[in-house]
Amino acid sequence: MRERIFNNKWLLAAVLVLLAILPFVGTSQFLMLMLIQVFILAVYGMSYDLLLGYTGIVSFGHAIFFGTGAYSVGILLTKMENPNLLFVAFLIAIVFSAVVALLLGVLSLRVKDVYFSMITLAFAELFFIVAEKWSSLTGGNDGIPYIRVPELFRERVSLYFIALGFLVVMFLFLRRVVDSPLGRVLQAIRENERRAESLGYNVLQYKLVSIVISGMVAAMAGGMWAVLQRYVSTTVFSLDQTISALLMTIIGGVGTLTGAILGAGVITFANEWLSSLASVHPIFERWLIFFGIIYIVIVMYFPKGIIGTIRDKWARSSERGKRDAAQTDQRGKSVL
Amino acid sequence: MSLTVNLLLNGVALGMLIFLIAVGLTLIFGLMGVLNFAHGAIFAWGAYVGWAVYGATGSFILAILAGTATGFVLGFVMERFFIRPFYGNHVAQILLTLGLMIVLTEGIKIFFGPNILGFDKPELLQGVVTILQDPFPVYRIFTIGVGALVLIGVHYLLSRTKYGIIIRAGVQDPEMVQALGIDVRKVFALVFAFGAGLASFGAVIAGPSFGSLHPEIGMQNQLAAFIVIVIGGIGNFVGAAIGAVLVGITQTLMAYYLPEAALAVNVALMALVLILKPEGLFGLRR
Repeated sequence: MRERIFNNKWLLAAVLVLLAILPFVGTSQFLMLMLIQVFILAVYGMSYDLLLGYTGIVSFGHAIFFGTGAYSVGILLTKMENPNLLFVAFLIAIVFSAVVALLLGVLSLRVKDVYFSMITLAFAELFFIVAEKWSSLTGGNDGIPYIRVPELFRERVSLYFIALGFLVVMFLFLRRVVDSPLGRVLQAIRENERRAESLGYNVLQYKLVSIVISGMVAAMAGGMWAVLQRYVSTTVFSLDQTISALLMTIIGGVGTLTGAILGAGVITFANEWLSSLASVHPIFERWLIFFGIIYIVIVMYFPKGIIGTIRDKWARSSERGKRDAAQTDQRGKSVL
Repeated sequence: MSLTVNLLLNGVALGMLIFLIAVGLTLIFGLMGVLNFAHGAIFAWGAYVGWAVYGATGSFILAILAGTATGFVLGFVMERFFIRPFYGNHVAQILLTLGLMIVLTEGIKIFFGPNILGFDKPELLQGVVTILQDPFPVYRIFTIGVGALVLIGVHYLLSRTKYGIIIRAGVQDPEMVQALGIDVRKVFALVFAFGAGLASFGAVIAGPSFGSLHPEIGMQNQLAAFIVIVIGGIGNFVGAAIGAVLVGITQTLMAYYLPEAALAVNVALMALVLILKPEGLFGLRR
């Protein structure tokens, strides 16, 4: 019930219809490209939300999965020399990152809190360095240029719909996961790990499942990113890539899934808009500073993110919502 | 033989340099538990102000004082207006300090320009001495000396003085300390500012050792600081120093014998320590 307002089927359906007719009303190529980026990054953000918002673990290594997906798809498409084998490349990428996620989880989930964050940070750095140094496979600093993709994925409009469909499917999938008994256990772990453990749940196993699912979804997003850019470079493994997942999730609202989508939109468009301001006035040459200010303002004044804040306001205004607000308050406290 | 000694000495010098970067963070992250990603930016501000004062006055001592003061003030303001409501809230701390880091780093570009600036060693500390037939820069000896002094000084402060007891007690049980009539908020603000001051102090010392400054200098060295703290054991001050020297020596040896892997050795070492002994080499299990 608490997800009532922003997971309202009708509101989401309306947004979806709006997005679906967008390409036919003379929308510029540029805007469509931006939206494709938003769709793909939104999936990446949602995969992080499964970890941060629903399982309550702070990973600094999420870029590992995004990068693994991007590099796997990029390398496979280049080696196979037949762009129509895209789905095979994706399949291999997903399986490979599931293995990576499992290994990473087994190695690092034994430690908690800051220690987990630090160990994932270390692994992410290792992946980054490997991508940079193993140049016979990854192209080193040059990356993998000119990835050949099927015609359907080159054409802007069809790619737009593929990306939109990708987002919808992944959203429904993750929605299904967090609403399933599995998802309930994950949320129980987030709320109180010891309690979940004493209730007889094997916390480590559930966390492993969570990180593997999250890793596979993130890898798909990475693969889509490689297809969109038709180029992969080491930046997909960078700390910034992880931080952007963190930002999308927090700006939109932790533990909401829809928040990650909104966060992806905000970040992509803010990035574009602020960097384009540089040509307006020299003061905007340092546009990054505004990004920094946005982070600070969000943490200090909207700690629950956009969706969380609106939902709270909404909930307070209705009688029945009061109970919900208390619930979200608790959730906010334990996650943030 | 002399090669080994030389490599080891260089390793210790590098380790002490890393320790000087990490020393403030051991207080802020290690003791107070604040995931401070703006630490590198404070470090960079210290280095830049030190550079400017050194350039203007020609006095390295004045540069150290000015740089340290800059960090202290920045740290105090940060704690008072931004960090204070978010103790114990790691996710908020990450985003908040990342924002502060961006603002401070861009601020450096506005004030000092985005280009690389040369930072010369003071005349007194230039040149080399011969140790076992091999030349060794005087400045590195200076770095080792300063690092050792800071280590002894802060360790003494934390473990032997009344202030140290208040700080450690305040971190462990703020309510109890408050009940004993000590203003814990003031203690926290001062510790944070002190940590930031130490970072910028280390920055002015480290600046000439790097030889040049650029706005991202803090971000670049921040990761190493986090790594040595985790390796030494979060919250263990002396552990961080040993961790720093360990990292310094390993990195120097790797750079000599296996340069391809030198970059990865820090993080690999941290991952290894965390897997084998999650609480760090000298940490206590929590």
